[in-house]
Amino acid sequence: MRFKSIHTKIALAFSCLILCTTIVLSYSAYRLSTVAVTDTSLDYTQQLIEQVNKNIQTYIGNMESISALSLSNADLQHYLELANPNGPEGRQLAGQISRYFHEIVASRNDISSILFAGSNGALVSDRSYEHLKPYAELITQDWYAKASETKGDIVISSSHVQHLYQDEYKWVVTISKQLPKSSPMTASGVLLVDLNYNVINDLCNQIQLGQRGYVFILDPAGDLIYHPQQQLVYSGLKSEDIPKLLQASDSTFRTEEADQSKIYTVRTTKFGWKIVGVTYPEDLIGNKRDMQLTSAVWGGISLIVALAISVLLSITLTRPIKQLEVHMKQVEKGNFDIRVDVEGTNEISKLSRTFNLMIGKIKELMNQTLQDQEVKRISELKALQAQIQPHFLYNTLDSIIWMAEMGKVEEVVTMTSALSKLLRSSISKGEELIPIAVELEHIHNYLTIQNIRYRNKFTYAIDVEPEILECHILKIVLQPMVENSIYHGMKHLPERGHIQITGRRTAGIIELKVIDNGVGMSEAQLQRLRQKAREPESGKGFGLLNVNHRIQLYFGEHYGLQFESELEEGTTVTVRIPDRLPVPILDKVAGG
Amino acid sequence: MRKMVFVAMAIVLVLVIGMVFMLVSNRIEAKDRPIIVIPKTIDSRVEFWQVLKQGVKVAAKEYNTDVTIIGTPSESDIDDQIRLVEEAIAQKPKAIVLAATDYNRLVPVAHKAIRAGIRLITVDSGLEGGISSSFIATDSYAAGGKAVDAMRRYVQGPAKFAIVSFVKTSTTQMDRENGVRDRLLNDPSIQVLDTLYSNGSEDKAYAQTKMLLTEHPDIRGIFGLNEVSTVGAARALKDMGLGGSIKLVGFDSSMNEIGFLEADILQATIVQKPFNMGYLAVKTALQVYNGEKVRPVVDTGSEVITKENMYTSENQKLLFPFIE
Repeated sequence: MRFKSIHTKIALAFSCLILCTTIVLSYSAYRLSTVAVTDTSLDYTQQLIEQVNKNIQTYIGNMESISALSLSNADLQHYLELANPNGPEGRQLAGQISRYFHEIVASRNDISSILFAGSNGALVSDRSYEHLKPYAELITQDWYAKASETKGDIVISSSHVQHLYQDEYKWVVTISKQLPKSSPMTASGVLLVDLNYNVINDLCNQIQLGQRGYVFILDPAGDLIYHPQQQLVYSGLKSEDIPKLLQASDSTFRTEEADQSKIYTVRTTKFGWKIVGVTYPEDLIGNKRDMQLTSAVWGGISLIVALAISVLLSITLTRPIKQLEVHMKQVEKGNFDIRVDVEGTNEISKLSRTFNLMIGKIKELMNQTLQDQEVKRISELKALQAQIQPHFLYNTLDSIIWMAEMGKVEEVVTMTSALSKLLRSSISKGEELIPIAVELEHIHNYLTIQNIRYRNKFTYAIDVEPEILECHILKIVLQPMVENSIYHGMKHLPERGHIQITGRRTAGIIELKVIDNGVGMSEAQLQRLRQKAREPESGKGFGLLNVNHRIQLYFGEHYGLQFESELEEGTTVTVRIPDRLPVPILDKVAGG
Repeated sequence: MRKMVFVAMAIVLVLVIGMVFMLVSNRIEAKDRPIIVIPKTIDSRVEFWQVLKQGVKVAAKEYNTDVTIIGTPSESDIDDQIRLVEEAIAQKPKAIVLAATDYNRLVPVAHKAIRAGIRLITVDSGLEGGISSSFIATDSYAAGGKAVDAMRRYVQGPAKFAIVSFVKTSTTQMDRENGVRDRLLNDPSIQVLDTLYSNGSEDKAYAQTKMLLTEHPDIRGIFGLNEVSTVGAARALKDMGLGGSIKLVGFDSSMNEIGFLEADILQATIVQKPFNMGYLAVKTALQVYNGEKVRPVVDTGSEVITKENMYTSENQKLLFPFIE
């Protein structure tokens, strides 16, 4: 019930529309910015990884140049040529080389140590001989073995604990390179340069990839060179998709794990290490919550504003309708004196104007009806008065007395009986419409009386078609017409006159005519009479005009009296009434 | 009708404001309340706790939570640690991760923390009654068993073994000793001598081992139940020239132990994983805070390190933790 008002409907419709729009817009804005931020973050990650890649290549490159530099040392070549490097000459050379190595190491804090081991038993490093582990043990270590295998290529180890020296276990990345025999006579040897693991650790550690992201480094064999959670990986608490990473070229791809997904950004260094950046998709959008919050807040605010506007709008739209409704209610209660004031040119104000016009018209019609009723009432009263004017009664009674004195018994009987019928017919029923036959009966009585009174000053004839006798007519229509003929036509006529009453039906109209051959009227008189008949309220005119008026009130403007007259020739008054009565009137007749 | 619209608008408004408030307050709360980690000591020379700290930090970063690490300069400052826990309670952290310096004396203050609604996780060393939500530590009993398995690779058949331990009342030592003894129990050809207690003194362990070897020259293997006991025993073996012939399996790691490993005096050492301990402690604390179900005891595992495997990638990390 409550949701059926236009106001609510409009408000609801707007609200739904706005709600949907706002949600869609907020969500898509959020999605779009998420995508944008993700892309930016990924770009940024790639740049960072690229940077790490370059830095590491620089460090390894430096170590390669240092190893090249060290190997090109003339003393080293000489040292290798010695049959017994542990002899006095060898010792001296080793001292020189060691100092040279030491200078290099001291000048760079990224290099932790340099060591050279020859196949002839030569062993020299940047530190004094005593700190070194035995030659036999050293040459079994990976760096020596692998470099010997590759014959001159640079071998880069994974990160590991260096155990060249007694009681020293430093984390390093080792590069080693074999110095091939310069001649069959000389020995070969392997040079080792250790890069402080600190360097790589610091480099990777300082990279921030979002909230939780990190960088790790894989060597070509799949060993972890650096990983912030290396121990977790070894313990199986964490895992990286190493096989896939080893196959990947420089790219960015996503892996889905049981509980979360990661985005790997891979760069491969020249020497085969893979620098891998790990970012978490939810991290990429660092301020995801902020963005959600912002979207939600602005979405909410615009929603509230829009809802408010929609409510206001619906109120504005429906207010004139409500105004109209209030006024209509008043009209319902019968107050027709109101006007609806709705400004503007829209539909509602047009409606109100029409409403105003309608109310005006209704009011006018109601007044009209009231007036008509009033006039009818007066006319009827007049008709009744006209029917039996006391004057007529006295005159008739006088005539009866006179005739009685004269002994004209027969005429007295006729006149008295006619008067009696006349009185009865006029008093008896209160109906307004009566069959024409009854009206003719009435006029017959009336004419009988008048004929006796005026001592046969006129003759009369009633000639009405029998088929219209049952048609209805207003009562006391013919009497004033006949009365008029007698008083104005016959009375002053020197010879005997004649009154003829005819009645016939033509084209749905019944015409009853009272034709006399009396004195008639001049053209001017006739005009005046017609003029008077046209005036709506004739006031106290004479009987004929009252008749005309009554007929027009009852049957409409088309009907009524028509006058034709010629001086010295006579007058014809025609009454025109409809053949068939209007339905409501018929009902009244039937019901009455 | 209009009233209804206003009511609807008011509801929407309240919802939006509520949502905003919830989001903002969540963020503030999440950021403001840290997890407080109290190791036995913050002495930077004690490698074990430094590595544990690394694990804590990695977890803190991964789970995006603030972690505060407080601790006493020495593992024996029990009263100070009780005071630190009190202070931690006053800060109303999300959780306290505690490595109790005393099995009994920390219990009242731990109860106080739990009553204050703070989640308590114990790490490495637990508390009487197991009152913490979870206990993250090495399964010392299993580690004892592993020590026996390592020893049996070097000493087969009937044998006499000795155990050099540290403090009699330490739960870690009791579990390790029980682990060793129970694993040897079902072999009647094995004889295990009474446990010697070094009371945390390397020199005492050294002296006791020397005396033991004099009294029982037929001993074929010795278990050193912690770093001090192992190094003491190793020194005794080295000085008596018995290194290698009498097998030694120890616990924990240190430069000294590595030296003895490389010198073949120490055959194997059972090492713990403090990094994992720290990491799992924080992870578990967060899980408890978020109302997830956690296991009451989490074993972080141990590894048997021998001379042969000491330089593998995995073991290097355990033996030679890289500390920045």
